[in-house]
Amino acid sequence: MPSSQLSPPDQAAALNPAPGGAARPRLGAVLLLAVGLVVATLLAAVHVTQGSASVGIVELLGLLTGGSDDQTAAVLVASRMPRLAAGVLVGVALGVAGLVMQSVSRNVLASPDTLAVNAGSYLAVVAVAAFGIALPVAGGGVVAFIGGLAAAGLVLALSAGGGRGGGTVRLVLAGSAIALALSALTTMLLLLYPERTEGLYAWGNGSLAQTGMAPMLQLGPVVLVAVAALFLFARQFDLIALGDDTATVLGVQVRRTRLIGILIAVLLSAAAVTVAGPIGFVGLAAPAIVRLIAVRVPGMQKHVLLIPAAALMGVIVVLGADVLLRLAFGGQTAVEVPTGVVTTIFGAVFLIALALRARASSESGTGFVIGAGLSPRGRGLVIAASAVLLVVLAFVSLLLGDAKLLGGDVLNWVTGQAGPLVEFVMNTRAPRVAAAILAGAALALAGTVVQAVSRNPLAEPAILGVTGGAGVGAVFVITFWPFATFLGVTTGGLLGAALAALIVFGLALRGGLASTRLILIGLGVSAAAAAITSMLIIATDPYNAAKALTWMNGSTYGRTFPQLIPLAIVILASVPLLASARRELDLLAFDDDTPRVLGVRLGSARLGLLAVSVALTATAVAAVGVIGFVGLVAPHAARALVGSRHALVLPLAALLGALLVCVADTLGRTIIAPAQLPAGLLTAVVGAPYFVWLLWRSRRTA
Amino acid sequence: MIRPTIALTAAAASVLLLAGCGTTENAGEASGEAAIVVTDDRGESIELSAPAEKIVALEWNTAENLVALGVMPAGVADVEGYTDWVKSEPLDEGVTDVGDRGEPSVDAIAGLAPDLVLTTTDLSESVIAQIEEFAPVLVVRGADASNPIGQMELNLERIATVTGHEAEGEEVLAGFHEKLAEGTAALEEAGLAAAPFMMSDAWPNGGQVSIRPFAEGALLTAVTEELGLENVWTGEGDADYGLGSTDVEGLTTVGDVEFLYIANGDIDPYQNELAGNAVWQSLPFVQSGKVHRLPDGVWMFGGPSSMNDYIDAVVATLAA
Repeated sequence: MPSSQLSPPDQAAALNPAPGGAARPRLGAVLLLAVGLVVATLLAAVHVTQGSASVGIVELLGLLTGGSDDQTAAVLVASRMPRLAAGVLVGVALGVAGLVMQSVSRNVLASPDTLAVNAGSYLAVVAVAAFGIALPVAGGGVVAFIGGLAAAGLVLALSAGGGRGGGTVRLVLAGSAIALALSALTTMLLLLYPERTEGLYAWGNGSLAQTGMAPMLQLGPVVLVAVAALFLFARQFDLIALGDDTATVLGVQVRRTRLIGILIAVLLSAAAVTVAGPIGFVGLAAPAIVRLIAVRVPGMQKHVLLIPAAALMGVIVVLGADVLLRLAFGGQTAVEVPTGVVTTIFGAVFLIALALRARASSESGTGFVIGAGLSPRGRGLVIAASAVLLVVLAFVSLLLGDAKLLGGDVLNWVTGQAGPLVEFVMNTRAPRVAAAILAGAALALAGTVVQAVSRNPLAEPAILGVTGGAGVGAVFVITFWPFATFLGVTTGGLLGAALAALIVFGLALRGGLASTRLILIGLGVSAAAAAITSMLIIATDPYNAAKALTWMNGSTYGRTFPQLIPLAIVILASVPLLASARRELDLLAFDDDTPRVLGVRLGSARLGLLAVSVALTATAVAAVGVIGFVGLVAPHAARALVGSRHALVLPLAALLGALLVCVADTLGRTIIAPAQLPAGLLTAVVGAPYFVWLLWRSRRTA
Repeated sequence: MIRPTIALTAAAASVLLLAGCGTTENAGEASGEAAIVVTDDRGESIELSAPAEKIVALEWNTAENLVALGVMPAGVADVEGYTDWVKSEPLDEGVTDVGDRGEPSVDAIAGLAPDLVLTTTDLSESVIAQIEEFAPVLVVRGADASNPIGQMELNLERIATVTGHEAEGEEVLAGFHEKLAEGTAALEEAGLAAAPFMMSDAWPNGGQVSIRPFAEGALLTAVTEELGLENVWTGEGDADYGLGSTDVEGLTTVGDVEFLYIANGDIDPYQNELAGNAVWQSLPFVQSGKVHRLPDGVWMFGGPSSMNDYIDAVVATLAA
């Protein structure tokens, strides 16, 4: 296995390995830093003129000449400057943290986001608030640090197996899965303790606004000291980039340096989270941009220069996003839209660009077939048992909920003899159970197909952004055509899903679908889709929590049978199609040549099968909102039980997917009744650890 | 892998066996002729054979109106929240909580077997349709920024009609108008006629403060204007509740006004988070000491009872 196919460019363009060769920084590099400083300063200057008060450039210039009043000064000192300071602090902290994480892991995709540091810090802060422990800002910083460190440790441990430095895709996947699970837990806490965690929801998207300088004055020194400390290790980071062995030969204590680097990086990200909430993808994009520039400038690749450059670039990205937000929405409306939403969209685009530059590798496609542990007879039994279990659980799920029913009630309902109460409860509960089962089955089928077609066991509609695209389409229709019928919403979802699939598969087609590129592009699209959905909801319907919950977290609330018709039709149409294509799926999942030799038309077979999975995904999203992990977990579990033949995998995956969502939905309706938790949160809490376990197991074979 | 599956199946099957024997109810009942007909804000006409007695209210303003008319609802969404925010018409002990206002539990509502369910157009249509399977639903518009007081009165009147409490409804409305007149007179006497004001609430967001100004068209803004004061906040609000959004900087557009706000308990960003903020301190109304926190529990989107409390609070605060 290649040690790391997305290594920072500075590894490829090797440094001068001579021990005494810490050449003085070249003039060009220093000039470039100066240009960066000028750009950052200009952005800062624009930044202070923007805001909801009518304090613009004229008034601010008036301050210098004494022509403005006290209020202008107050706005500058107590509102604009704290916001600017927060932007600078967050930009420096995240930019440098990302750079160091990338350097010590020799992986250009390592960052506070992909290592789940932000999600871990945020969860820790929310958990402390939820359990009623009030902390001063500095105390909050400690909590954020511990949470972030725990998350990063988990991700690094999980992804460390696949060769030194860890495989890129494993790292990003473990990070994304853990981040998803942690944010699902965070959202649950926000829902369970709304009064104690009030305000933390909007903060969860990352916003720079501040009411005073206190947080920056407390955490600014921490950031300064941390960045300064990194300069002491600059040369060791340079050497680690050459490879562990070379670095060891040159006298670097690789493990120790790596640990120190990660600790400082986590500290920096925690400081940023404490000040402004999780601001997405800055830690990924800023250092990556710096590295792209650095390869073209002689002498620039030394960490002595890379660290200040990443800090400057972080500031430019954060302030740039904030300035752009206010230019687009105007000073008043921009108050509502968190800056982190914009940086996430920026960062997602950048993640895709990085993925496109990556060389295709053979990393994916191996190590994930756990093997069939069962005899042929056992396989049949498992499928039959799952079917029975599904029927039983569907029945139990009809009984459970806010009002508990008894079996006889359901029998009466089925035979039309139930009294009004049971009739009513069943009439509302049955569509929800049906929605959960159908959507679970559809997402699992779509996942199975996508994994086979892309020959990538980590692919699934949610990770590939197709589910997110469907969500954007559906929310778009609801937002701009409030009276749209359910068919309209489904159509919107379909268009969104198709567009996302087109982008992801279109971009990944170069170099073959079965590459790590597909996953990375997909993750980028899915992050962007989540950010756009959240922006649409915050900007147009900020007080409608129920709407946000359904579309961001998946919910069967309020489903009726007629709304399930599109989904049912698509499933009914897909089943015979997929059944007849089971051989093609086996062949496509095997390799490129065998299907060709056997006369399968690769292009059209892939396209047709993908279209089926897009339709399944879109109708499922229209029915229950965005639910992740089902399409990934169900096919894996199915393959682990019955092997890789799609004749068996397809039905079992569908059954397991239906089971997972059905259980999640039932728990969500029952645990805190009469209030409810969205099904998608519970599938993330259940699905993400399973996924992590898969990654852990696959460590040995990778 | 097979063993847990079997164990689970067996466990589930035994649950079913235990549960499978009974039912939770007896037979249904018949209905008579329509005696009351009301058109709601969807344009649907609600027909009732008799005044509704067992009622579930899914939005707090409808619950408040019921209590004001002398009808204790059987179920209310988020009873705890109601008790915190709506002090004008307290609920009895026995009122059932039917879940969150955003996603009330249809099970819980059905479980109460209500004669009528009251909700607002904020609830999704498919949920309203589900509830209609088992009970008539009167859907009112929670608020209308083009006619805030009129909408509030209309909502009360319709609830009075469907519960057969028209006389009490007229009384409540008459009381509200009397209260308005008294308040206007008291404020005029205190020399506050045509005094400029701004109404808002706010909450802390991490290290930040989100401010929600009540724009032109918000119920509280309209009532305060009826009291003879003049609203100075010119920002836009939403089409229903007339709510805007801004930050501390945004308040610099407001001059020396009576600055009214509602907070809840310890959560008071104006006193806590903003106290030391230079922008806040630079605001003319802060410097002249015209920042007034109104008492807790005056529901800002409520009915005449809440508005009566509000008028009392404004008069007591400003004219004292």
